[in-house]
Amino acid sequence: MLFNSSIFALFFVAFLPLYLLVRRNIFWRNVLLIIASYVFYGWWDARFLILVAISTSVDYMAALGASGKTVRGVDRLKSALYLAAVTAGALAFARLSDLWLVLPVAAGMLVAAGWVLWIDHAPQARRPKLWLLLSLGTNLGILAFFKYCNFFVGSFSSLFALFGIKLDAPTLSIILPVGLSFYTFQAISRTVDSYRRRFEPQYSIVNYAAYHAFFPQLVAGPIERAAHLMPQFESVRPLDLTLFTRGALLFMWGLYQKIVIADNVAPIADAVFSAPQGKTSAATLAALLAFTLQIYCDFCGYSNMARGLARCLGFDLMVNFNLPYFARTPSEFWQRWHISLSSWLRDYLYIPLGGNRKGQRRMYGNLMLTMLLGGLWHGAAWNFVIWGGFHGAIQVVYRVLGVDALTDRHPFRTLQGCALQLGAWAITMTLVVIGWVFFVAHTLPDTVAVFGNLLGTSGYPSDLFWTLAAYAAPLALVEIYQRVSGRIEILEVGPFLVRYSAALCVLLTIIAFSARGGREFIYFDF
Amino acid sequence: MAPLAAPAVTGQRTRGRLRALPLRVLRGVALALYALLLGELFVRVFCPQPVMPRYVTGTSYGVRANIPHAHYWHHTPEVDVEYRINGQGMRADHDYPLNKAPGTCRVAVFGDSLMMGYEVDLRDDFSSQLEQLLRARGYRAEVLNFAVSGFGTAEMLRTYEAFARQFHPDVVLFSWHVTDMEDNVRSGLYRLRDGQLESANATYLPGVRTQDLLMRSALYRLVADHSQLYSLIRERFGLFLKGLVVVARQDRASAKRAVSDDPDDPDHGDDDAVRAALRRANAALSSAIVAHAAQVVAADGKDFYLVEAPIRVSRTKFRSSVDALSSEVRSHLTIISPLAAFRGAARPDLKLYYEEGEGHLTPLGVHLLASEAAKVLAGAPHLVACSANTTTATTARVASAPAALKRR
Repeated sequence: MLFNSSIFALFFVAFLPLYLLVRRNIFWRNVLLIIASYVFYGWWDARFLILVAISTSVDYMAALGASGKTVRGVDRLKSALYLAAVTAGALAFARLSDLWLVLPVAAGMLVAAGWVLWIDHAPQARRPKLWLLLSLGTNLGILAFFKYCNFFVGSFSSLFALFGIKLDAPTLSIILPVGLSFYTFQAISRTVDSYRRRFEPQYSIVNYAAYHAFFPQLVAGPIERAAHLMPQFESVRPLDLTLFTRGALLFMWGLYQKIVIADNVAPIADAVFSAPQGKTSAATLAALLAFTLQIYCDFCGYSNMARGLARCLGFDLMVNFNLPYFARTPSEFWQRWHISLSSWLRDYLYIPLGGNRKGQRRMYGNLMLTMLLGGLWHGAAWNFVIWGGFHGAIQVVYRVLGVDALTDRHPFRTLQGCALQLGAWAITMTLVVIGWVFFVAHTLPDTVAVFGNLLGTSGYPSDLFWTLAAYAAPLALVEIYQRVSGRIEILEVGPFLVRYSAALCVLLTIIAFSARGGREFIYFDF
Repeated sequence: MAPLAAPAVTGQRTRGRLRALPLRVLRGVALALYALLLGELFVRVFCPQPVMPRYVTGTSYGVRANIPHAHYWHHTPEVDVEYRINGQGMRADHDYPLNKAPGTCRVAVFGDSLMMGYEVDLRDDFSSQLEQLLRARGYRAEVLNFAVSGFGTAEMLRTYEAFARQFHPDVVLFSWHVTDMEDNVRSGLYRLRDGQLESANATYLPGVRTQDLLMRSALYRLVADHSQLYSLIRERFGLFLKGLVVVARQDRASAKRAVSDDPDDPDHGDDDAVRAALRRANAALSSAIVAHAAQVVAADGKDFYLVEAPIRVSRTKFRSSVDALSSEVRSHLTIISPLAAFRGAARPDLKLYYEEGEGHLTPLGVHLLASEAAKVLAGAPHLVACSANTTTATTARVASAPAALKRR
């Protein structure tokens, strides 16, 4: 179910009155949120609700255990019953031939039960770590199987083929469940935070399941932290017309970014990147700029819609994009782009690896490794690894040259600072745009073809740039204002009549200029 | 004193709110008016819209029809067109007697806005052009325009069965446009069960009750006839609702199961595969409805033709819309296709479809379509009777001749 689809509109219209009816009762509100979230997710494929339930059941117990709390028999029973109930419910919407899914679920439950028994017999001091390992094993295991299995099998086969050894490794026909990378990372972060005593998990599985499956952010984030979001599921959320209106406005702004900008410039990018060979230089450059705009508006738009929806229900989700295309250095770009993922990688990968505490060489190594894995998180393909490596490499170069410190030392106020910052921004943006080539061109020949096309001069001048400018210019003006004023929520700025008029204009723009067809969000594939 | 003070404060508040109520209402009305004015200005400046009000109403036979005696205009950046609907709901400047004059043949045209003649004058619409072309070929023919904007094949068939039959047409033309596929799902008048076509809903009158109510208001008609903001909202909201109806009526679960069971489907039921399966299901339904329509018309002893409206890819490129129907159904139909004529006539400086309104055929596009139809109909067995040079005996002989015309 896409936020920009008519079926979602129906879903939300049906859901909202029920939510308003029960919102003051934490238990029933969370039950309703679970049901609604599972309907929302199951609309794609109900079978994958089982994975959501596995992650929920295991992490419910694992976070308690990792925090040092006792995982009582009743908690284990709640976990098992929850998984069994969701499995039965999911299979009720599946075919008879899907009943075999009961077997791996049962086998997984047995393995988990065995692990839990082992934990029970382990010394008290080791138990939190073992619970943590259970969570990591479950979530990363699911992720590895569903997302990376064929990638690793294929890569090993290719590697051996380089040495003349032909491996007939079978590849499995596996569908990537929507949002898997997001909800597994969110589950891991909660258990790790519990283990680090930065968050204290509670005993309610209903509260946790609602947090885990919260439909505004289940399929594409933001990847929330338990300390920020979980308490919201354990309290009655304040909600009034003002907050609801603010949520609706944020949703509308996200919708504008998605269906007016991203979806309308997408055909320009698709026309080249679907088969880049033989395209003109102008078309390729326009496609690259279109993709730069598309991926930002697609994902930032989604994040704004998610935050807006959550706000309409009284919940607060973190800001996921903070004007990333104004970054002056690659590290600043990553502090502004997909903030929930980059901060996740920083807190759960870069810092545990040693961060910058173990010398410069180790820091560069950590940075490269973090960015390579961050690239791989986006997709099980080498182009994403190369993209991550590219961003890691430019960050290392910037650190070696001390560019971040240099830009910080020269504020925008002076002429020299102004020139320096604008120059740094232009170079960073050029690098970011070049980076998107690796991201969007899925094969090495395609990547070479794109760079080859860009080096030529054919096809200029092109009307495509005017089309792009028509979509980019209003957004650029808004973002310049956001950057200067420091106010990220543009539709809440100014006196009432200005806000009212701006909201009306955005709404009319959505009605008049939205692209037909309803494209999926790019990040759903990750 | 405190227990007494609370109700007093509450009472004061209530009185205060009541006093402020007229102001609040006034503010609400002012804001609503401001929104309408700003919206109208915004639309006219940034995204001018064609103003094309729909004058349709319900009928006793359960589908829509043009409002009899309606008189209205469409304004687009490319044309201003006047519409006059006769007393029988047809776009014509006169009523037709139920019985045709001796020696005259009747051609009944069914279709959507393309066939009704949206964006072209009466003299340039398909029915008028066809009538002129047939008369030029020596046929005493009347072409009756039963088309209604938004119609799919199922509604055309219902109109033929319940209304148009009484006009004794000799030849029946159903148009086929790419939009018919979803229109047939949306109307829900027929469904496929185990591959067999069966009647489903008795009526399909979307929004007709509301429209009838609104049409009584002169203010509404003024807005509908002149406001670009209203046109924009109506079109987009209509599309949104149409999408919802299609989603509700499509058997998505079956399509999902079908692709999941398909061993040749590498995606095992991802959204694209499900959409493709739904398209196949929609095509099967439309094919069955078209085949059924042809049978119904043939059972009445009339000639049935399917008139294809090609899909406009660009100003100079067109592709077939009728290819969406199953090849088996197509092989049993006589299809009038202007595709070759369109491709032959296409030039960068010529428009066969309008581009800034709602994309209907231009007079030239209509003329090409009508010319193809006239060419095909010139051999139609049932039109021989009204040919100026044909005797009654010939008519009797060809009446039973098979309609062997194939796709031209």
